[in-house]
Amino acid sequence: MNSKARARLIHLLISKSIIEALLIGGVAVAFFFATTNPYFRGVLDAADQTSVTGWAVDESRPYTRVEVQLFIDDSFAATTAADQFRPDVHEARRAEDDWHGFVFTTPRLAAGKHEARVYAVHSNSSGARKTLQLIGKPYRFSVE
Amino acid sequence: MNPTEATRLKESEPAATITDRSLAAWEIVSVVSSVLIAEWILSASAGRSKLIVAIPMTLAFVLIIYSHVLRGETARQLGLRLDNFLPALRLLLLPMMVISGIALLIGFLSGARLDFFRWHADRLIVFQLALGFGWGFLQQYVLQSFMNRRAQTIWGQGAVSVLVTAAIFSVLHFPNPWLMVITFVGGVVWAFVYQRQPNLLALALSHGVMTWVLVSALPPSALNHLRIGLKYFG
Repeated sequence: MNSKARARLIHLLISKSIIEALLIGGVAVAFFFATTNPYFRGVLDAADQTSVTGWAVDESRPYTRVEVQLFIDDSFAATTAADQFRPDVHEARRAEDDWHGFVFTTPRLAAGKHEARVYAVHSNSSGARKTLQLIGKPYRFSVE
Repeated sequence: MNPTEATRLKESEPAATITDRSLAAWEIVSVVSSVLIAEWILSASAGRSKLIVAIPMTLAFVLIIYSHVLRGETARQLGLRLDNFLPALRLLLLPMMVISGIALLIGFLSGARLDFFRWHADRLIVFQLALGFGWGFLQQYVLQSFMNRRAQTIWGQGAVSVLVTAAIFSVLHFPNPWLMVITFVGGVVWAFVYQRQPNLLALALSHGVMTWVLVSALPPSALNHLRIGLKYFG
């Protein structure tokens, strides 16, 4: 192979690598937006042996109710909608109306320390994929 | 230095620093990366339309074909010929019979039912074989006319380039363990035969028939419907 042909092949290899890198970058960005909702807001206020409470809002769709799931010690416990009366969230201007609270009944747990996590459920545009996003911070509590 | 000399020097600079062997290795890595991108990233993130998967595959084929043109490789050299069809088939016959026998034995011992319609249950056997031949031809073209030939540019004709070609073929079937073993064995046979009798039609025929026999004889759970890449887990 002469040097001119070799140079052409090198240019093609470099161009191909650049196109593929851009393609992967594009897919990564699209994947991020398909699996993540950057507008979820919320707090896990309290957790004990009787209930787990807090609030969750989707700021991009402030009048819809966010579906939330409770996990205790990394195990799924329950699912519900954040549609309970929480005027304080509205007063604090974190929501457009009073109905974004959630209340879970804590399942029966063994005595000792536990950790509660609440996740907002995010569906992609076609509804084919669902992902979970942590609401607030994990809450540690004890059961006697 | 006058402008013409400067241009000539500029054009020859990148080529002068990369040897033919390095370039062949770069070509192999580039095509393998395209297939892995399609298998592991795009097919998983694509929706119902798998068109996006065609992008890296098209890029790979553009590279392969352009590489043939730039290297001055003829269709005959690549294995698109009829004169050595029968000699190539003769070389393939014994390994095909042995592998088929082993597959039938494994299927029998594992209690799998021999089902020649398992691959495409609702289609005629003729269609299955035609599909196997076409798909086999594409794979053998990339594997032998490109990978094997570039491997020979690096390591020369012989065991190393045969094993490297087979290893590449096997890695592209990751993470399906049984398929990786089968494709490595098949890769060794096909690469060996191609180095002696380069004939893509005979290899494609062998590829199609062997896929059909293996899918028909081995337990379906072993091959996991020939799934590879991220799809293997789905």
